[in-house]
Amino acid sequence: MDEQKSTGIQRSSTHTRRTRKKKKNQLPFGIAVVLLAVMFGILLGHKNPGMPIFWITGLAFGYILQRSRFCFTASMRDPFLTGSTSLTRTVLTAFAITTIGFAAIKYGAYVKGLPIPGQSYVVPVSLATAAGAFMFGVGMVIAGGCASGTLMRVGEGFSMQIISLFFFIVGSLWGAHDFGWWKLNVILKGKAIFLPDIFGWIGAVIIQLLIIALLWIAADKWENRKNLA
Amino acid sequence: MKEVELDCLGEACPIPLVKAENKLKEMEIGDVLIVQIDHSCAMKNVPEWARKEGHNVEIEEIDDGEWEIIIEKVK
Repeated sequence: MDEQKSTGIQRSSTHTRRTRKKKKNQLPFGIAVVLLAVMFGILLGHKNPGMPIFWITGLAFGYILQRSRFCFTASMRDPFLTGSTSLTRTVLTAFAITTIGFAAIKYGAYVKGLPIPGQSYVVPVSLATAAGAFMFGVGMVIAGGCASGTLMRVGEGFSMQIISLFFFIVGSLWGAHDFGWWKLNVILKGKAIFLPDIFGWIGAVIIQLLIIALLWIAADKWENRKNLA
Repeated sequence: MKEVELDCLGEACPIPLVKAENKLKEMEIGDVLIVQIDHSCAMKNVPEWARKEGHNVEIEEIDDGEWEIIIEKVK
């Protein structure tokens, strides 16, 4: 990235020194929001000691998502639109890190003989998964953001995506309403696969990391191929 | 040298990029395109695309959450 290099683009004098609105000092708001967040966290802690952890991870996730301009939608869209795969590779890197993290958590519970956490998320995989993923992809590109991206941009004050958020909620409620039928008639027709059951713990981690690495290399090749053309 | 302003305020992510791409195609070498955006995602992909194409790019935050991306067409 040559971010620092000033290019010194010449702009016509009428435009360059346009009178600017004076920016409001946001510091008092920032302090107020932090105080409110801490107070809400303490309040949650009184209700349930586990809740503040969710509150903190949620806030941290949102903060990182916003500051890093991280976008799952762009990671899937930009390779086709601009040939840029920087976000694609970022997402793959994140997947690689979480692969190791999740494997460690699950394996930790497994060797201690405790129930493995998060096993209810190991759900059947079938063509329905691919069909659903495709529809979600179309939807998120049109809406300008996936679930987390939409939430983050509404928080930024991007008004158009309040519409996205509204229909995201409508769709989720509708989906939840009919989920029983889909589960019974479509989802359960597939087979649930938990990789460590098949390849062992080490094998599962290695295979998953290998697939991620191959995708990463493919993404890198894709970007450079476009550059040569 | 021409200077063109492209108002993309209120437009979600891929639209500013596509608009900028199309606009820049009609412009001459040496012309300057100013894309006004307020979608943080476009803040990333518009400059990235323009730099990859080899143009000169500058970003200016003109207000809280409002940016101008200044692209000089060089080829």
